[in-house]
Amino acid sequence: MSDLELSNRAVRGRALPRPPRAGTVAALAFVAFLAVATVAPWLLQTADPLAIAPREAFEPPSAAHWFGTDESGRDVYSRVIEGTATSLLIGVSATAIGLALGLLLGGLAGLGGRVLDFVVGRVNEVLFAFPGILLALLIIVLWGPGPVTATIAVGLSTAPGYARIIRGELVTVRSSGYVEAARVLGHGRARVLARHILPNALAPMVVLATLGIGQAVVWASALSYLGLGAQPPAPEWGAMLSAGRTYITTAWWLTVFPGLMIVLTTITTTVLGRALAARDGARR
Amino acid sequence: MTSRRIIRTLPLAALAAASALVLAGCTPAAESPEASGDPVTGGTLVYASGDGEPSCLDPHVGGNYPQALIAGQFLESLVSLDDSGEVIPWLATEWTASDDGLTWDFTLRDDVSFTDGTPLNAEAVKVNVEHLKDPDTQSSTGYLALGKVDSVEVVSDTVARFHLSAPDSALLESLTQPWNAIESPAGIARGMEENCLAPIGTGPFIVDEWVPQDHVSLVRNDDYDTGPADRAHDGAAYLDGIEWRFIPDSASRYAALQAGEVDIIDNAQPDTLDQAAKSGTLVEIDAPRPGASNRIELNSGQAPFDDVRVREAFIRAADVNDGIDALFFGTAERSFSVLSSVEPLAYSDETLFATDLDEANALLDEAGWTERDADGIRSKDGVPLTVRFPVSTNQSIPAEQSLFEQIQATAKEAGFDVQLEPLDLSGWYGALFTHEYEAVSAPYTKVGPDVLRILYHSDSITPAPSGYFANLAQLDDPELDALLTEAASESDPDARAALYEQAQQIILGGFYALPLYDQQNHFLHSPKLQGVRAMPTVSTPTFADAWLAD
Repeated sequence: MSDLELSNRAVRGRALPRPPRAGTVAALAFVAFLAVATVAPWLLQTADPLAIAPREAFEPPSAAHWFGTDESGRDVYSRVIEGTATSLLIGVSATAIGLALGLLLGGLAGLGGRVLDFVVGRVNEVLFAFPGILLALLIIVLWGPGPVTATIAVGLSTAPGYARIIRGELVTVRSSGYVEAARVLGHGRARVLARHILPNALAPMVVLATLGIGQAVVWASALSYLGLGAQPPAPEWGAMLSAGRTYITTAWWLTVFPGLMIVLTTITTTVLGRALAARDGARR
Repeated sequence: MTSRRIIRTLPLAALAAASALVLAGCTPAAESPEASGDPVTGGTLVYASGDGEPSCLDPHVGGNYPQALIAGQFLESLVSLDDSGEVIPWLATEWTASDDGLTWDFTLRDDVSFTDGTPLNAEAVKVNVEHLKDPDTQSSTGYLALGKVDSVEVVSDTVARFHLSAPDSALLESLTQPWNAIESPAGIARGMEENCLAPIGTGPFIVDEWVPQDHVSLVRNDDYDTGPADRAHDGAAYLDGIEWRFIPDSASRYAALQAGEVDIIDNAQPDTLDQAAKSGTLVEIDAPRPGASNRIELNSGQAPFDDVRVREAFIRAADVNDGIDALFFGTAERSFSVLSSVEPLAYSDETLFATDLDEANALLDEAGWTERDADGIRSKDGVPLTVRFPVSTNQSIPAEQSLFEQIQATAKEAGFDVQLEPLDLSGWYGALFTHEYEAVSAPYTKVGPDVLRILYHSDSITPAPSGYFANLAQLDDPELDALLTEAASESDPDARAALYEQAQQIILGGFYALPLYDQQNHFLHSPKLQGVRAMPTVSTPTFADAWLAD
């Protein structure tokens, strides 16, 4: 992004909208599916996700049980649907927490002057020295396992990354040509901040957040897989994956389907994030 | 050649006999050519354990099954059991009890040294008993087993005299256990920290190195020539050593065995046992542990299970039969006794455990748990009918954890809110120590029916020096206490059996426990491994006579 491109906002109106790609359409369709699964899972379910039927355990996928049955005879398809809300809720909330904290820290560093920039920068570097998942584990050790803790843990662990990107954007935009021009034209600090700096610096955050949800879902699943997130018998994707792992050599459907949901969700958010990024780039 | 069939046909025979038959029945000597032949010297056996890695290799400290598994390779006991359950000589060659049962003389072998050179003598036995009884040792299993032993007197170099506070019909059975094994006094004198890293015994192997979270290296004791009286051969072990690995993940453990990276695995899972039986390329050892069965104890020491009606309601509501069949692929049989089926005195009563949801609901109504919330959870005076159920992920295999989820689901139909809490071993002990549980599954392995005294006598509500208390049902019944105390002193076998039967009737009839199945103890090994057997004592494998065929 050159300054010229960034400041040439007049182009925006004339750019022809590109037709959405097939991938984007598929991703949007999957998001719609996930949304229904989250808000009204019973519309999609074929059975009670918690109802056990030991005599029907370990049945492979069939017309009656699309994704087969698990070790307690529960319907895997209905459990995967039921788990969507938990997994997505953890993903979205964790991203929101991470982003909010990132905004606060990044804002302080990018706009608060040298001393604050230095302090936040060093704290961030210390946090970066730990892998995010380790930080999340630490938080869970302190507060005990559970979906809420997992959400907070993932959120807190992703915050430093957001903070750093937000600070970078703020610094770039603050010293850009159009901001300087606005200052020269005599606009007040608040007006420049509100009209020019924030909108331009924060636009990429939408893209980041979309990409982040996918990552957060993977992290949340990882924590549940380790037994630190959702507790039994709650059907969370990571927890299902973990429970099915025992039978991976004899009942593949216990791991493949929850795993597929995690993969598809991550791919979907990535595709959408990129589409948003492309649109955002074109707009500028 | 599925070993469990063989075991089932035996009318409660001693575990030992079963194990021997299992081996005889399973070793594919007739079928596979490589299995035949003479013992081969050399080679390092790789053992993969799915049990939690011990925090201390000295089984006197604490005293759990993972410790017994490995300690049996380097420590030995005073006596052992043979295949028919008879007590046989080991480090002690003979023993006599006084008429009042309060004094026992053990004559020791005079030609045995510990692997650090310290001689085995009466003084060593005295030091070991004192070590077990010292609160600083934090012993639980070994400490409880020697509860009636007041002191040991050194009569001569080879004769150790045990002075008891009361007659103990279980003394010999207790002394067969790895938790009461005899260690070098010089080793013990090094202090707990050092002794935990490498206890010194008289066994076929010596602890060489322990890499925590990874493995323990054991090397052959070249001077070894003891072993229990029924040992297959004299002299040192065939194997150069054992690499004792910890692979907690069951699928990885089985994969490592299939790939030939390891020679034997413990805690083989039901689905893999089923698979292995079908493929026929691996050998199974099914050695149910003695002592208690796997059962869910209901904490009668606090609400809501201080009310027998609520306990019975829970047991009537929890439907486990179909779950056991499905989850264990037919490798585990439902138990209706608190004792293991290998215990000859086990008393079983199936009629007490018939599932009956209507009966459960009626009992709960009668007990005053009449309010129900939107989810169907009952409450009484605003207190919900919550059953906190800490689950040790180290001790409960995945199939068992799934079974608990099924119990959770079926008990909910009667209005119980069962809260399963998967915990690691330390977190699980923590929940027990602080009484933050209503239900718990705690396997307890001990030789003989005296395990009932340890699990259900009110004395066992008082924590052992380790902090553990074995009476997790918190059963406090003077009549039962009297029966168990009397049985433990009764030397007449028939009278003893009658007393234990009465005691078990009280325990089962009071709905203090929901028996599930025997403590599962399945090993899978490659046909290359020969001569391995499970000890008739606590079913741990011994490699003193084992070899790896080419």
